[in-house]
Parts: sequence; C-alpha cells; structure tokens
Amino acid sequence: MLEISDLSVHYGHKRVVSDVNLRLAPGQTLGLAGESGSGKSTVAMSVLRLLPRSARVDGEILLDGDDVRTMSWGRLRAVRWASASIVFQGAMHSLNPVQRVGDQIAEPMRLHGTKGNVRDLLEQVELPQEKARSYPHELSGGQQQRVMIAMALACGPRLVIADEPTTALDVVVQAQVLKVLKRLVAEQDLGLLMISHDLSVLAETCDDLAVMHRGELVERGRTREVIANPQHPHTAALTAAFPVIGDPAHRWAQPETTEPRTTEEPLLAVHELTVDYGRTRAVDGVDLTVGRGEIVALVGQSGSGKTTLARTIMGLRKPSSGRVIFDGAEVPRNGKALKAFRRQVQLVLQDPASALNPRHKVLDAVAEGLRVHGIPDGIPDGEESLVTAAVERAELRPASLYLESLPHELSGGQQQRVVIAGALVLQPRLLVADEPVASLDASVRGEIVALLLRLRRELGLASLIITHDLGLAWQIADRVAVMHQGKIVEQGSVEQVLLNPSHDYTRALLRAAPNLGPDLGPQV
Amino acid sequence: MSRFNAARGLSRASGGISTFLSHRAGVAGAAILVVAALVAVIAPLLIPADALDVTRVTAAPWQAPGVEYWLGTDHTGRSVALLVVQGAGTSLFVGLTAALLAVGIGTLVGIVSGHFGGLVAGALLRVTDFFLVLPALVLAIALSTVLPRGLGTIVLAIGLTSWPSTARMVRAQTLTIEARPFVERARALGGGHGHVIGRHVLPSVVPLVLVNATLAVATAIVAESTLAFLGLGDPTRISWGAMLHQAQLHGAVPQRAWWFLLPPGVAIVVVVLAFTLVGRALEAVVTPKR
Repeated sequence: MLEISDLSVHYGHKRVVSDVNLRLAPGQTLGLAGESGSGKSTVAMSVLRLLPRSARVDGEILLDGDDVRTMSWGRLRAVRWASASIVFQGAMHSLNPVQRVGDQIAEPMRLHGTKGNVRDLLEQVELPQEKARSYPHELSGGQQQRVMIAMALACGPRLVIADEPTTALDVVVQAQVLKVLKRLVAEQDLGLLMISHDLSVLAETCDDLAVMHRGELVERGRTREVIANPQHPHTAALTAAFPVIGDPAHRWAQPETTEPRTTEEPLLAVHELTVDYGRTRAVDGVDLTVGRGEIVALVGQSGSGKTTLARTIMGLRKPSSGRVIFDGAEVPRNGKALKAFRRQVQLVLQDPASALNPRHKVLDAVAEGLRVHGIPDGIPDGEESLVTAAVERAELRPASLYLESLPHELSGGQQQRVVIAGALVLQPRLLVADEPVASLDASVRGEIVALLLRLRRELGLASLIITHDLGLAWQIADRVAVMHQGKIVEQGSVEQVLLNPSHDYTRALLRAAPNLGPDLGPQV
Repeated sequence: MSRFNAARGLSRASGGISTFLSHRAGVAGAAILVVAALVAVIAPLLIPADALDVTRVTAAPWQAPGVEYWLGTDHTGRSVALLVVQGAGTSLFVGLTAALLAVGIGTLVGIVSGHFGGLVAGALLRVTDFFLVLPALVLAIALSTVLPRGLGTIVLAIGLTSWPSTARMVRAQTLTIEARPFVERARALGGGHGHVIGRHVLPSVVPLVLVNATLAVATAIVAESTLAFLGLGDPTRISWGAMLHQAQLHGAVPQRAWWFLLPPGVAIVVVVLAFTLVGRALEAVVTPKR
C-alpha cells in the first residue's frame, strides 16, 4: 500500500533524511522510532507531501502505486485524507478553538463528499454523542486526541499516520488512546504508521518497528525481536533508556546507600498540608517526608496535585493549612528567612528550554543564584570559580566551552545540565525536580538520571522527583509516594509499592504504564 | 577566550545592525533624522540674530520665493527658510522629551501593574483607563491653558496624555515574561521583586519600549504642532506648529502665500515619517520573523 524507496530530503544543503526504504501493507502496523531531529516526522509528512517548499525530496513515495511526488494537485487533494490521513501531535494546537469538534470532524467529509456521520465516528473512538457540540477547550487532552483520531478516520482512509499521538498525555490517558487506536486499526484493517520517540508506546501498538538515527534507517524488524535483541547500538541505547519496572538491571539507585535511617530526623517533613485554588482543593492533607540523602519519587497523573505540592514545599505558593518542616524548622513564609531557605532547596523544572532566560548566557544563568544570595566569603575569585565548579559537576566539561553560550545554542540535555548547575552552585541540600527528564530524548534521559544519582552519592543531595513516569521512579528512587486527587494514596519503598502495590490506583497506574519487558510486548 | 567572547558578542550586535540595514526605508528615515538633528543643533549658531528679529528685518512682508529668499518671507518680512530651520530645534526637542516622559511613565506603570498584580494593578489600570478614554488632545489643551505658558508645559501636557498605550503594551509584555518558567526558577532561587524585574522583565521589555519610543516621538511632534497651531505653544519660540499658527492668524491663505504654509507642514510630515520608518525598522530588528 505504501512503498517508500530511496527517500532523501534536503533543506538547502542539509540532508535530514537519507535513503530511507519502507513498505507497509494494509492491516500492517509499523512504528517509526527516533529522537528529535532523526528525521522521522519528515518521512511521515513527505507521504502526503506536507513538507515546506524549501524541502527537496528525492526518491519514490508510492501510495497505492501512485507516486506522491509527481501527483497532480487535484489528485493529491483527493488522496489526502481519503487514502491516507494523519493524527497530528498536540491536539490542543491542531484543533480550531472556535469551532465545535463535531463540525471539525465533519469538515473532511464535506470537502471530499464522503458519506458518513459524526455520531458513528465518535462512537468508534468511544466518545459520547453530546461531545460533538463541545468546543476543544471543553474536552480533556485524551478526548481531544480521540477527536483527532475520529477526524483522521472520517473519510475511511486505508493508511493512518500518527505523529506522536500520545506525547503530551499522561500514562493512564495514553493507555486509553492507544487502546482505541489499536482496536480501530484491527477492526478496519487499516495500515498504521506511528511515529514516536517512545519505544514503549510503539511496542504497545505496532507489530513492526523501524528505528531512525540522524536521517538514516538503522534498524527494521518485528517489534519484539528488535527490542529483545537490538542490532544497532543506537537501538540498544534507546531500549536501555526505558526502564523495565521490576528488572533489577534498571534499578540504578544502589540499595546499600539507602538504608532507612529512621533514627535521624528527616530533612523535609510535610504535615497535613492542604492547598486550595479558589474552591478546588489541589492538595488535600498530605504527609510526606524526605530523609537526608534520600531520593523520593512523587508519582501521579496530571492534575493529581503533585506539582502544586512541590510549589508549596518550595514556598512559591501559600498553603491553606498544614506545615512544611525543613531541617527541624518550619519553612518561613516570607522575608529573609524564606530567601535563606531557598538557598537550601533548589528547583529543577521540566522543560529546560523555557526554564532558562533565552537572553542570558550560561554563565549568567548559573550565577543567578549566587548573585541573589551573594558569594560566600573566602573564595578566591568567587563567582567564576564557583560557577565553573558547578558547571563541571553537572558534567559540562570543560566549563569554559559552555559559559559564554546562549541556551538555544545547546541541546536539550545540555540545557537541563545548566539548570542543574544553577541549582548546584548554591550547594543546596534538597533538589525538587518536576519531571526532570520528561522533555528529553531517550538517550539523554539516562545520562541525567545518572547525574542525579551521582550527585546524591558524592554530595549527599536529597531529591524529591515529581513524575508521571513509574519507570523513572523505579530507576532512581528509594521511596515512592503515589498521589491521586490531592491525596497520597500509598507510599513506601520502591520495591514494595511498584512490585506489590496495595492501592487500586497504584495498580491502575502500573497497568497503564507502557512497558518494554519481555512478557509485556504487544498483545494483539 | 575573551577575544572569542568579544567576537561572539560582536557578531550578535552586527546581526541586528544588518537586519536594520536591510530595511531601506528605515535607513532613509535614519538619514533624514541625522540631517534634521544636525540642522537643529547647528542652525541657531549660524543664523544671525538680526535675521529673525521682527524689528530689524529689511525685506518686504509676503515676498514670494525668489533668489534672495528661497522660500519667501512671512508677514513681518522674515525669511521662511530660516524660520523652518530655526523651528526644527523646538519641534525635535519637544517631541523627544515628551516621548521620553510618556514612555517613562508608561513603562513604570506597565511593569509595576504587570509584576505586582492585585490591588496595585487594579488601581493603576483604572488610572490608565481614565487617561485612555479621555481625548488626549482636549486634555492636553486643558493642561496647557491651566499651566503657565512655556516649553515645559507643552512637554508635560503631551507626556501626561500619551503614556497609557505604552503602559498597556509594557504590562502585556511583563505578564507574558512573568508566566515563563525561568521567572519561576528565579523566584525559587530566592530572587525578590527587584531581581525579577531587573534581570528578567526589564531586559525583555526594553527593546519594545525603544521601538515604542521612536513611534511616540512622531506622535509627540504632531501633538506639539497641533498645540502650537492652536496658539497654545510657547509664544517666545519658533516652531513649525507656531509658524502655521502665525500663517493662519495673519491671513496667509487670503494672501495666497503658500510659501508660508507649505514648508513647515512638509517639514512636520518628513520628520514624523522618518521617525515612523525608523521605528518600523527597529521593530523588525527586535522581533525577527521566524
């Protein structure tokens, strides 16, 4: 049905895709994996000739025997959506905010004169009929993504291209969306080309897997075989980056350093903390402790209140009631004491690109905390030596190469290291990290996790890691606290919570988590 | 190392300059402004006091343009060409200072209301709205009739009436910057209000403010001309608006003395246009299209 041969794409002199060959038969599901910049989206967009004009496309893209590259404009319009359609990533930005979703689903049918109705389509994606009259902002992320899928199916295409269809969704919703997609593909005998940076998502949905790296197709085969026995080092790196819950090889935190020191007073203790946003209770009577040098993972879906809890611990939000105790003393709410507290506790945000001021050089970004708090006395040429030390601690070596760079000149992983260096320079005792690796590529992710663990080992730095990713918790944490609707429903050691969960919600999360484990491959 | 840094900084700056240079209209505007500024500075030094003194001029009034007086003479026999040259200084001075005043107030109000929010912002925004709904010209006229006559009054009247749009824009920009995670990071690092405003908000607002100031100068020059034309200017100084006022007062139209009306009018248009062109080109430098 789809046959891509010797596809190369150039932007100017830059080659972004070189000599890619792919075949897809009806009813076949193919996953295309790769990191950002690997050219996987470019390949997908070239199938419907959706690349910008500046792209030069060589090779052959046969869709049902017709070459998309040489198709007439009218023929291309007929082929788009009727033979092949796309589920774009980021439904929030791909849906028109001022049109009802029912009208938007009907739009391709109207344009192509296809018969069919919106009700059936909504039913197929398991959305209630009334939702046709909703505007996109009235729907949740998972519902929006299902609207996108309904839209893609509107004209009965035989090939569906899904470009990171679940990237912005949390695990539970992601599992639901993937289930719908999988069922529809099987029922309607569609061909599916799914693009993702996340091997575990592809493993859940696709029978075949192709891996791209720097514009080249480096590996292709049955999903199970590729993952179980990767041939190319890049594939191996990708598979290694997704921890398998329960696999001791992926448990990076060394248990011997983490013996519970119950005698000692915990570094951070949260008692009965409650935070309200207007009438909504975001955090509801939470008790949580982080010991000295301990790494605690706070897991939960988006909207569970975990980020609000972190902000409140940092003193960025005022709690409605309850106490936060750091190192034996209550965290002050304002003034000099709060400033002094903030020197001890540092925040690492999810998206390093936006956590750094684009106008500030690395030197200024790292030194920001020092400039706020002043440089401790008795350090020869204070700022520069401290910044250099922190940057090298964050494994940007040699520091002099990076200090003068602006954030956009660095890769995502390097940016996150800069954020971490900016925290380290103040010699904090606790790091609060909000999804520290969620926006990073798979191969970089492992490095950042290793860095956090090394900092704990060398500096005794405790961390509170906020994540929706149970795999990350397995990899890095000593203890896990599971948060659901503002409450902590379960907490305990990683092994205890993740391998032997006692609460239903924890079990639901574990079931939803995509897994690369040998026993959990694609179940069709 | 330091040479490397300097080179990188230089290449960034030269990137901005080359963007500006690629806007021909902006370059033309800048050239006009340089000429106008030179004229305004040098003219008073070169023009003999006698030439502009009503009691000492020798030429006949309402003389049409000719070899001796390129742009003719006014109702008292002064050279219109010299008056236009002399008036450049007043118009530019009032335009620049009034724009600075307006942009200064606007930036302050915008940042304070955007950063602090709450009651302070509410109060400031209501004041902004008050000035925004009042017709600026009427307010300026009222102010310049109440206050003692003089250049300072004109500057004040224009400055006090034209800041609200800047305040709105700066507030919007402040709000977008404050919502960015790097500001949250700065707060988490322990940075206070001064730090967030000084290190994050101000640097990202300044380029916009600069562009806005350039455009505000153009508006202020027009406002100054209007006030002077209405006879509310400083009677002791020559400005383009004041010339138009004199021309209207002494019947340049029935005299068919187009040479008294046209030159100051054209001068206003050219300088205002130049400021606008430069402002637009700077806008392109500040917000590059991606």
